Amino acid sequence: MKNKTKLVRRAAVLGAGVMGAQIAAHLVNSGIETVLFELAAKEGDPNAMVKKAIAGLKKLKPSPLGFSQVTNLIIPANYDQHLHLLDDCDLVIEAIGERMDWKKDLYDKIENHIGENAILATNTSGLGIGELATVLPESLRHRFCGIHFFNPPRYMNLAEIIPHAGTDAWVLDALEAFSITTLGKGVVRAEDTPNFIANRIGMFSMLATMHHTKGFNLGFDTVDALTGPAIGRPKSATYRTADVVGLDTMGHTINTLTNTLPNDPWAKYYQKPEWLDYLIQKGDLGQKTRQGVFRKKGKVIEVLDGHHYRPADYSLPDEVKAILKIRDWGEKLAALRNSDTREAKFLWAMFRDLFHYCAFHLGKIADSARELDEAIRWGYGWKQGPFEIWQAAGWQQVCEWINEDIDQGKSMANIALPAWASDGREGVHGIQGSWSAARGEYSPRSSLPVYRRQLQPQRLLGEPTEHGETIIETDASRLWTLDGKVAILSFKTKMNTVNDALVADINIAIDTAEAKYTGLLIWQPKGPFCAGADLFGMATMVKEGRIDDLEAMIDGFQRVNLRLKYSMVPTVAAVRGLALGGGAEILMHCARVVAAHESYIGLVEAGVGLLPAGGGTKELALRSRTNTVAGDSSALLQQYFEQIAMGKVTASAHEALSFGYLRPSDVVIMNTEETLFVAHQQVKAMAESGYRPPLRHIKHAVAGRTGIANFRTALVNMQAGNFISDHDYVVSERVATVLCGGEVDAESRVDEDWLIKLERENFLELAQMPKTLERVAFMLKNGKPLRN
Amino acid sequence: MQDAYIVSATRTPVGKAFRGSLSKTRPDDMLAHVIQNAVSAAGGIDPARIEDAIIGCAMPEGPQGMNIARIGVLLAGLPDAVPGVTVNRFCSSGLQTIAMAADRIRLGEADLMLAGGTESMTMVPMMGNKVEMNPALFSSEHINIAYGMGITAENVADKYAISREDQDQFAYNSHIKALAAQESGIATGIVPIATRSYQTDGSVVQVREGLFSADEGARADSSLEILARLRTVFKANGSVTAANSSQMSDGAAALMLASEAAVKEYNLQPLAVFRGFSVAGVPPEIMGIGPIAAIPKVLKQTGIHQDDLDWIELNEAFAAQALAVIKDTGLNPEKINPLGGAISLGHPLGATGAILSTKMIHAMREKKLKYGMVTMCIGTGMGAAGIFEILN
Repeated sequence: MKNKTKLVRRAAVLGAGVMGAQIAAHLVNSGIETVLFELAAKEGDPNAMVKKAIAGLKKLKPSPLGFSQVTNLIIPANYDQHLHLLDDCDLVIEAIGERMDWKKDLYDKIENHIGENAILATNTSGLGIGELATVLPESLRHRFCGIHFFNPPRYMNLAEIIPHAGTDAWVLDALEAFSITTLGKGVVRAEDTPNFIANRIGMFSMLATMHHTKGFNLGFDTVDALTGPAIGRPKSATYRTADVVGLDTMGHTINTLTNTLPNDPWAKYYQKPEWLDYLIQKGDLGQKTRQGVFRKKGKVIEVLDGHHYRPADYSLPDEVKAILKIRDWGEKLAALRNSDTREAKFLWAMFRDLFHYCAFHLGKIADSARELDEAIRWGYGWKQGPFEIWQAAGWQQVCEWINEDIDQGKSMANIALPAWASDGREGVHGIQGSWSAARGEYSPRSSLPVYRRQLQPQRLLGEPTEHGETIIETDASRLWTLDGKVAILSFKTKMNTVNDALVADINIAIDTAEAKYTGLLIWQPKGPFCAGADLFGMATMVKEGRIDDLEAMIDGFQRVNLRLKYSMVPTVAAVRGLALGGGAEILMHCARVVAAHESYIGLVEAGVGLLPAGGGTKELALRSRTNTVAGDSSALLQQYFEQIAMGKVTASAHEALSFGYLRPSDVVIMNTEETLFVAHQQVKAMAESGYRPPLRHIKHAVAGRTGIANFRTALVNMQAGNFISDHDYVVSERVATVLCGGEVDAESRVDEDWLIKLERENFLELAQMPKTLERVAFMLKNGKPLRN
Repeated sequence: MQDAYIVSATRTPVGKAFRGSLSKTRPDDMLAHVIQNAVSAAGGIDPARIEDAIIGCAMPEGPQGMNIARIGVLLAGLPDAVPGVTVNRFCSSGLQTIAMAADRIRLGEADLMLAGGTESMTMVPMMGNKVEMNPALFSSEHINIAYGMGITAENVADKYAISREDQDQFAYNSHIKALAAQESGIATGIVPIATRSYQTDGSVVQVREGLFSADEGARADSSLEILARLRTVFKANGSVTAANSSQMSDGAAALMLASEAAVKEYNLQPLAVFRGFSVAGVPPEIMGIGPIAAIPKVLKQTGIHQDDLDWIELNEAFAAQALAVIKDTGLNPEKINPLGGAISLGHPLGATGAILSTKMIHAMREKKLKYGMVTMCIGTGMGAAGIFEILN
């Protein structure tokens, strides 16, 4: 990797355990030729073990596979036969069991096969990098470091990069740039201290939570109700997370703390609670054994209480619920602290000890508060890191509360906050950067070139944000520019949904871009790309009998999408996250799409008894032909039909390509934070290439009545077999009708406007059917589809 | 009217479609193999005297297109003088060809005839490579033409009150009977067929040769518990599963038919006399009951009483329809499919009629029985039945 730091021709992962195999899969997702090693099987096929691990990837949920071929593309290998395959690897990630002697044996074995400029990185979470370096052959030490991925590595943003004293700087810089752009990760550099940053803080947070759960005599279910989305953490909260991670894995992480930090002020809390030992001994390790803190009995979720299970109860006292609704962290923490309820007192105690711990250890474990907060955000999925919450709540006020509790002996450790915390500061993040307790100064963001690819990175609380220059701003959107050349449209509606006002804004944005800019880019600073159309608005129009208004709205949306397609300047959609219904239709009409790997695109209208009528059905009808290079397009049309009829959503951007939502000319990138930069580059390159929109008066061949009959053949059988409801049949039949270009002779040639008209007419008829209205109402109320 | 004698009957073993032993063998090659063996098994006839080869195939397109009967004749090395015609009546095609060949002889138009069937369900899917139903069906009473076979089986199960348990038990018995028969070594007319597949390890093409010599569908690891766990595939909460339906298969069979004059002239050993054949139509949405309509017709035509039948090959398209036929006709279950059926051994559509006839003739000769019937249901709502008198 040296010199050409982005050039990883081939990578290897040593160890095909749960992490190793998933890391290999993610390397392949990222387009890297990857060899996965495991021990040779003693009997039969020497690759049997590694092949089994690769096959196992197909069963994991959420899926580590960005596309179905990934498992065929991982090159299986074993240490007995294939060490020579390491010779060409520029990156070797070791992910074997956490035993020093095993790792030493392996390092000795591979020494002569690691290329001169290759990097060797260990995915250890429990062993020290410096310690591992001592058992490493001398020649490899300077190219050795830790890279700690989180499970599941495809989805968890965090990669901690950990040097030891002898690691060359180029190794860290190269690995950081590679992890960010090529693997799409958020990188945090960590010090070589036990459990590094995320698990050190995250695990303490768990231990403190467990300690106070017992102290305040709360149930695991109640604590999960308190420590989930209510305080900006994932739905799995505390104990459900433990079940998902695996109670044995959590036990190992705690053991690391016990064994390596005997003199820590919190050392006496580094032990497994009795119930955890009990469950581990019983072999109830959580999700992987289907029983842990929680289990499912039929449809009832049960929670461990003592040594028995009882139905889980996630209800909270009204007073506590009211406090949790307070938005201001200062008021919220004050209310928690002042409340007499055990739930509230518990939460305050938990935050207090977490803040205390973070402040005390910051100087040792991380370069600055930024690393600590980012590690927790990206590795544990919290909306804000501990320091951000503290700062938001009023730094000094919280300091006073903590000190008061320390004085009264309420805190877990009887040790003072570090002096810097109480020096009158307003926080640890600000204009100058983030506080480095080790160096006693504020530390700016990294100046590595890779970060120049993040034009609008996620900011920490208190950090200044660059907004660019606003061109036009309304309630529905903001049109702005970074360079005065490319116009950027960002939606401001709820979940970035499409409504009349936004459609009007897109029209104006196209006008403006055509008049004054080189191109138009659609990008959302936050939330999904677009969660679809404004269902409520549409339902209201039908309810009030304003069918003409509804028709005008659909017509307007169809027209604006066609304008995106035929605009005189290049239109580029920068997509990450969800792009559903109308959102998918917008991107399908842009001249180019830049999609992050983690994009979930789908035409999901059938779920509410409608069909895609913003040009999405029309586009798939056209693409069934253009994507069929030679021969019969009916198989592809069938696939597209199923996608719409079943409302399928892609599991990645790669899959969106096979779904026809993306074209081969569209660009898939790995890092969600780089979509704006890459899209910007695309607009510029397209404009510089003399961009012209496609010619629009082409006539397109359609499948016609024959095609519709073929779909009906399948539908008749699904209906007779009770696999679809009568209304599913109706909706699907309409989808088929539009996709096939209506009841015309097979292979008739029609123009785009005819398909658009079919979309609109069929949509309007469906929209007025009672069963469709029931579906819409149900979706608005419950957020999930009704089967009627 | 003179009698038509069956003087030879040969078949391939039945292979499982897609991953089975015949999945790389073309249907015309399977056909050539059985024709060659039917001709040589008949004894010293002059092949040029074969009046015609009538061959059944249910999906005569793709590798089974181009009049596969004539292609099979030529590939078998028969003289150019021997013609061939492909016949399609779906699942009864193979039996239909025997009836048609017999008729030519009975009318005195021919002395030597070839009949048979071939089907690779691996290479041509059921309903063909591209289904194109008449668009007019969907707004008419003929919508039942569009029903898949599985739905018709569910309909029959409903109408005749055939339970899931009975279907699974029937399926299980099919496997047990097939395994026992294979164990016993009873003759069923199999002529082992050489198979070839062409693969590369990256450096050269490797030809893998094999000899396929026994039906491969029957499962020793089947159990009622496993069968009961399977989900229904054609209807939500229905009763028809993959395991109580016939297997998709590859296979072929050919039979040589001769007039009495030819038997004498060439000193042939007649195995059976073809006694008669009937087909009948039923509603397409319950096509599985086809034999209920066809069996009485053939019994009346031949004057043979149901109780005189010693052996019945009732094609097991679905356990549901087979049980409905048994329930309605009162056929003696003990005489039905003594060697297992399509659920355990497979059902290569257009070849099945010829395969079942071949199998039954050889097995009945070994058991020294007299009257045997082959019957099956047919897609779009038909049934066929043919009766053989075995000569020992």
